Amino acid sequence: MLNTIDTTKAYTPEQVAQMLQLSKNTVYELIGRGEIVAKKIGKLYRIPAPSISFFFTGLDYDLYVSDQEDRKQLSSIENEIAAVRTDL
Amino acid sequence: MRVFVDSDVVVSSLISSTGAANFLINHIEIEPVISIHSITELQIVVQRIHVETGKIKLLIKNRFEVIEITKDVKVLKQSYEKFVTDKNDALIVTGAHSANVSYLISYNLKHFKIEAIKNKLDILVLTPALFLQFLRSQQ
Repeated sequence: MLNTIDTTKAYTPEQVAQMLQLSKNTVYELIGRGEIVAKKIGKLYRIPAPSISFFFTGLDYDLYVSDQEDRKQLSSIENEIAAVRTDL
Repeated sequence: MRVFVDSDVVVSSLISSTGAANFLINHIEIEPVISIHSITELQIVVQRIHVETGKIKLLIKNRFEVIEITKDVKVLKQSYEKFVTDKNDALIVTGAHSANVSYLISYNLKHFKIEAIKNKLDILVLTPALFLQFLRSQQ
């Protein structure tokens, strides 16, 4: 699992097909069905990294962000819980 | 769906309103469960990290099912220590097993022997975000 997603990056359908080991046509079908959210610029598609977050992290992008939000404070919480559990 | 929730998830839900723990605790399809043993530790932990104790009391009252476990703590820790890497975490597994749930939600996955818990107790241990992702996959 990657620790971070570069939200500024965007990929071509061909790059995504290669990353996900799918055919290019399948990626276009997924775009057509809305399963991969892409931006059409002229005649070309570009796929922002958060649209394929699931394939990197196992999580949809919003869940990935909310997971990371909790992890900011997690080590201090875990330390306190461990200390309390030892005492109880 | 009833799920047993470790204290790290409960505390995280109080600290951040946009974190996965908060989404999980307030999810309409989820009935979070803790044990009576968790309440004491939750009250001490929130004090130590400077969260109002009233908030945890209110959260537990409004959202949680609290299960009673009457057996001796030492006996329980001995019975369930095979499922954890730190004996002090055994009461969480005890709670999940006593609550008869299929899911234990924790951020501290490395402290639980996940395969043993799955195979012997039929309980899956997941983080809040992974469990929410699982719920989405069921829709």
